[in-house]
Formats: sequence, C-alpha cells, structure tokens
Amino acid sequence: MKAHRFRTVLLLAGLCVAGSAQAAVQAGTPAAVVIAIPPLTSPDTGAKGNEMLSMAWQATQLIASDLRQTAELMPLTPDRKDYYSYPEVTAPTFSKWRDKGAKALLTGFVQARSDGRLTVGCYVYDAEKGRELGRKGFVVAPSDWRRAAHKCSGLAYQAITGAPGMFDSRIAYVAESGPPSARVKRIAVMDSDGFNHRYVTAGDTIVLTPHLSPKANQLAYVSFVGGTPQIRVLNLESKEQHPLVPNGAMSFAPRYSPDGSKIVFSMMLGPNSDIYVVGSNGGFAQRLTTAPGTDTDASFSPDGSKIVFESDRSGTQQLYVMDANGANERRISFGSGWYAAPEWSPDGEWIAFTRRGAGARQIGIIKPDGSGEKVLTTGPADDSPSWAASSREILFERNDASGRPGLYRLTLDGSEPRKMTIPQDGSDPDWSPTID
Amino acid sequence: MIRKTLLLIALVSLESAAAAQLPGLRRRDPVPAVPVQQPLDVLRADFGAQSGGTTVYFSGNSAALGPQAKTILSGQAAWLRLHPEVTVRIEVHGDSGDTRDHALAIGARRAEEARNYLILLGVPAPQVSAMTWGKERPGAPRAVTVLVR
Repeated sequence: MKAHRFRTVLLLAGLCVAGSAQAAVQAGTPAAVVIAIPPLTSPDTGAKGNEMLSMAWQATQLIASDLRQTAELMPLTPDRKDYYSYPEVTAPTFSKWRDKGAKALLTGFVQARSDGRLTVGCYVYDAEKGRELGRKGFVVAPSDWRRAAHKCSGLAYQAITGAPGMFDSRIAYVAESGPPSARVKRIAVMDSDGFNHRYVTAGDTIVLTPHLSPKANQLAYVSFVGGTPQIRVLNLESKEQHPLVPNGAMSFAPRYSPDGSKIVFSMMLGPNSDIYVVGSNGGFAQRLTTAPGTDTDASFSPDGSKIVFESDRSGTQQLYVMDANGANERRISFGSGWYAAPEWSPDGEWIAFTRRGAGARQIGIIKPDGSGEKVLTTGPADDSPSWAASSREILFERNDASGRPGLYRLTLDGSEPRKMTIPQDGSDPDWSPTID
Repeated sequence: MIRKTLLLIALVSLESAAAAQLPGLRRRDPVPAVPVQQPLDVLRADFGAQSGGTTVYFSGNSAALGPQAKTILSGQAAWLRLHPEVTVRIEVHGDSGDTRDHALAIGARRAEEARNYLILLGVPAPQVSAMTWGKERPGAPRAVTVLVR
C-alpha cells in the first residue's frame, strides 16, 4: 500500500491525524487502549539478517515493556510466531489484530547500515480504521538500540494519547546507603527504565537535589563539600564540574530553564534566601525576589516566561508565580497547610507541589492560576515531585513507615503509586524531558 | 590581660620577622611564652558547662530566638569573649517533616540569627561561622554551637 514510500521513513509523518485518532480511540473508553506489537522485522538477509532479527526481538520486548508501564496503553504480549515480512511493515493485516482485540498496532524493522549503525523504523496504526497514525525512523549506534526502541514507544504513546512519550529520558536522584548516623549520599543517573544506572559523585560528601539539563547531559546539584551547601554543575560526558556561582554564599535548589540556557536557583546573600537566575555556563546572577522571607524551589513554566516558587513571606510556605524577570508576583495557593517544592508540568497545565498539613506530607497539583487543586497521595512523608515529559505522571520521594526513602511513580488518574526498583534507597528524584 | 597577650603576639611576630630579615642575628633570649592552647575537648567541656549549653531550639517555622535561646547564647557569648583564641561554628539542624529545600533555607536563617546574636553581644564576627544541615541530621529544629579550634 505504502511500500513505495517505505524508504523515506526518517521524517515524522501522520502526527496531524494523531489528534483525531486520539478522539476516536479515547471516546467513551476510560480503559487502556490495547495495542498489538508483533516482533519487529528486518529487510536484511543471511547472518546479518539473523543478527538484526535478534536485535529486533529485543527491541520489541522493550517497547512492550515501556508501554505496559503506562496507564493509557495495554500492549498484547509480543509473540515470535507473529513474524511478518518487511513489506508488511507498511501493509499489515489489520483484521488479524482487530480479531485479537487490538485497537492499535505497532510495526517496524531494524536494518543494518553500511556505516555500522542501525536504522530502526516504527509505524503506528489505528487497527480498527486501518489507518496510519504516525511513523518515525531513527539511526543509532548498535549500542544505542534501547534508545531507538524507547523512541518507538514514544511514537506510539504520542500517536495514541497526544502526549509526548517519556521513555527516552533519564532520571537523576540521590542514592542513599548506610545507617542513619552515617548516611552515604551519591548522585545517581539512570535511564527512565532503570538501565544504565551509574553513580556520578563519590559519596565522600553530602549531596542533594540533582536537576538534569533538558538534554540530560549536565546536572546541577547541591554539595556540602566546602562546608556550606553550594550548587555545582556537572557535565555528565566530560565529568568536569564547577561551582555555579563563584562566591562563598550558600546556594541551593537549582533548576534549568526549558531551553537549558539558564539556571534558576536560591541563594543566601542577606539574612534570607532569594531567587536568582544565571546563565547555565556562568555569568552574573540576577536577583529576582527581594521580599523578606525564605524564597526557594523555583521552576520555570515550559515557555520560559514565568517562574513558580515557594515563599514563607506570609508566615507559612505558599506558592507564588511571577514573570521570568521577577515582576508581577502573585500568590496562587490558599488552601489549608503549607505548600512547597513546586514544579511546572511540561505541558504548562499544572504545577505539582508538596503539601504539609496535619502530620502528613503529600503530593498534589494545582493550576497556575490557583484553581483546580488536587491532592494525589496519602503521604505520610512524600516530597520532591518531578514531572514526566508526558505531563501525565509524577516521580516523587516517599519515606516508608521505617523512614527509608524510595522513588515512586504516580499517574494522574489516581491509581496507587508504584515503587521504582533501584539498587538502594533513593531521594530527591528528577525526571528529564525526552532526550532529542 | 587580653591586650597584653595580643601585644606579646604582636611582639613575637615582629621579632620573627626581624630574624627572617637578618639571618645572621641569633636570638639569645628564650622564646616568650605564648598562651597555652588547651585541648579542644577540654575547651568544649568548659564551654558547655560555663555557657549553659551548646544547643538552642527553635519552634515552628520561626527563625526567631526565644527567651531560653537568648539566655544560652548570652552565656556562650560571655565565654567566647574570654576565649578569643577559640572559633566556633553554629550548625543548624532541621525538622525531618520539612521539605528538603525549605529545611536548608530556614536552617540558614536560624544559623544567621544565632550568629548575629552572638556578634551583637560582643563576639568578634570572625570568631563565629554558621551553616545549615537542612534535614540531613534531623531532629528538633536546633542550633548547635560547635567549637572548631
């Protein structure tokens, strides 16, 4: 059907129809969309073909595993018996998948390139209407096959839900080990599915609150190395690191701007902490707040035009929104309790926060204009919410009954948070945007 | 007494400077006595006993010093004025119920409050530093004055 266009997969197409497909698939169906993921195929033959098919099978399983993590999609378990030929990638037998109850279908291929890299192509269909929803191709080094598979998962997620997929992203957090009296804290970075887990600080000094740059190749974090807590910026590729602000003042709570060019943070130059912004490669820090009170935990809106932060200027911690230059501050939280640790969602719709009230710390969301507040967790000791790129999930820290911190994923649909598997205790999670 | 000691120190440094400039000059007199530095743990015990405590507590979300905190800090200030050779660091610990960054920030404010009170009572500023642990070593919100040397 579309086989003649098959080699021009590298451009994203079909997203214009994704919107209508979303309505078609979601109308009246609160349950997850069932998606069939038969094993990706390969145009290659001989030994190379076998190698590619083996990689394609691993990628297929990873895609299914990614999508199974979501609240919106329910993948059928991939079965090697559902092998299809290369031309069928763009001409699948829709009736076969409709019969199995699938509303959506993902096909694709893995092809060896002459330069040693791989092309991974993915196609997403509305199986009921027999219509393509999107296609995308990725050229990656063989060692990066997981990233290509995550991109395919993201394509399917976006085509069906309309929200960006968060599978090809990274998570940074503080890995905690040892007894409470001699806790060892290290910054750890991993892929969002837990792979490629590695420690990026040595554990010889207390470290806090890592925040990844939008490309997830840098992170800003707080270190006690000089005695005073100060922000350091670490390049994850070169391992080079330096203090964000070259003075002796206490600085903390760093967050990158959505374009990665700036870091907004808190600093104590006077009797209390205020919000400052500085270029992510250094320069002069510009002061944004001057009110008497502790101002901290600033987070940019996705278009970079506004900043949400917390302040106790009214006597208790509350959320405030201001323009990115510090003008037009206004309070947005007026509920009972104290509001802290805000983070603006990537789609701009919500601000996640930690609410302290009646003996519990809980995660909630509120609209940037202060309306629509919802508390999403029961606590009793939750903190540090961080959005997924999809804006439909929040990663946060929960301390269990014994006081041990772990990382939990929460979907906005109100289901029970799920604990992430990490090698030890973890706190201060930060979830990067989807890596380009 | 203090002034005399300072004068002695000044003389000593002058003398050693002169000796450095004139390598041939041999010093004949015995080296003048410098004040004996007591071991740190002895000083710590004395500080705690004489000043009424090393720790002051804060309530709620406040960085303000209550009457009890001020009494203890006054005792600390009196001791520190008598021991100009000792430097201290005020370390503030936060409440584990607090959020991460607010605990750091309010801790820094509390540390500054306590430090400023000591300075107000006559302790030379270079003798006192201050820092916050946030909630890294949690417990009741408190400022602990730690003798550094």
